[in-house]
Amino acid sequence: MLALRGVTKLKPLLAPRGTMNLRSLSGAPNPTQQNDDLPIKMENPFKQRPKGCLLCNITVDYKNLQLLSQFISPHTGRIYGRHITGLCGKKQREVSKAIKKGHSMGFMSVTHKHPQFMKDPNICAVRHFE
Amino acid sequence: MPRYELALIVKAMQRADTAAALRRTVEALLERGAVVRDVENLGERLLPYRVSKHSALHTRGAYFTVDFYAAPDIATDLLDHLGRDVDVVRPTVLKKESAAPRGPCCGPGPSRPQGTGTGT
Repeated sequence: MLALRGVTKLKPLLAPRGTMNLRSLSGAPNPTQQNDDLPIKMENPFKQRPKGCLLCNITVDYKNLQLLSQFISPHTGRIYGRHITGLCGKKQREVSKAIKKGHSMGFMSVTHKHPQFMKDPNICAVRHFE
Repeated sequence: MPRYELALIVKAMQRADTAAALRRTVEALLERGAVVRDVENLGERLLPYRVSKHSALHTRGAYFTVDFYAAPDIATDLLDHLGRDVDVVRPTVLKKESAAPRGPCCGPGPSRPQGTGTGT
C-alpha cells in the first residue's frame, strides 16, 4: 500500500523528465519541427535613415551670401545660435566663421540682412513678431 | 589645387579702368612668382557698408576673385602693394582648402529644435 502511494507521488515528478529524455533519446531530429520557429533573416524593417544636420554634405563658402543670410537675424544681422539653427557643431562653426569672414572682407553686412534675401524660407526655429 | 584666393573689391569704374586695375593686380602677382589659375567676376554691386579708402567714401564696388598658387611668403608683400593701389578698395588673401572629403559628415544630428508651431 505504502509502496503504491510512493509510486503515485513519484509519477508526476518523473513524467516531465521522462518526456525530455524521450525527446533527446529519439533518433534523427525532424527538420520541419526544428526550423519552423527560427527567425527569418532580413534587414531591420524599422531602421531609421541616418539623421544629419541641414548642411550635411553642403560646402559652406563665404561667397554664398544667400545661404549664410539664412542663419542671421533679419532685424539685427546677428548670427543665430546652435539651439536655433539646429546645425551640428562642425557646420555651425563653419557658418559662423564664413559669416565673420564675409563681414571683414566687405561681402556681408554686419547690422542687417540683405533685402534681396528677406523673402527666403525660414529654416531656423525662430519666430519673428511682425 | 589653388593654394590661395585673392578676394578683391575694386572701385566702381568704367570697364577700361577696371580692366587696367585687374591687369596691374595680376601682373603684381606674376612678378612675385605666383601662378594665376583663375580670375572670376562676381559682379558690381552695392557694398554692404560704406568703406572709406584713399580719402574717398565708396558705396559701390566690383567684386573679383583670383585663384593662384604661390609661396606663402608673398602674401604680406602683396597686401602691402595692393593697399597702395588707389583703385583697390579692399583686398583679402585667403588660403583655399583642397576639396578633400573629410570622412563621414556629422553623425546623428542634434534633436531638431521645436518649430514655430507652439503657441504662447
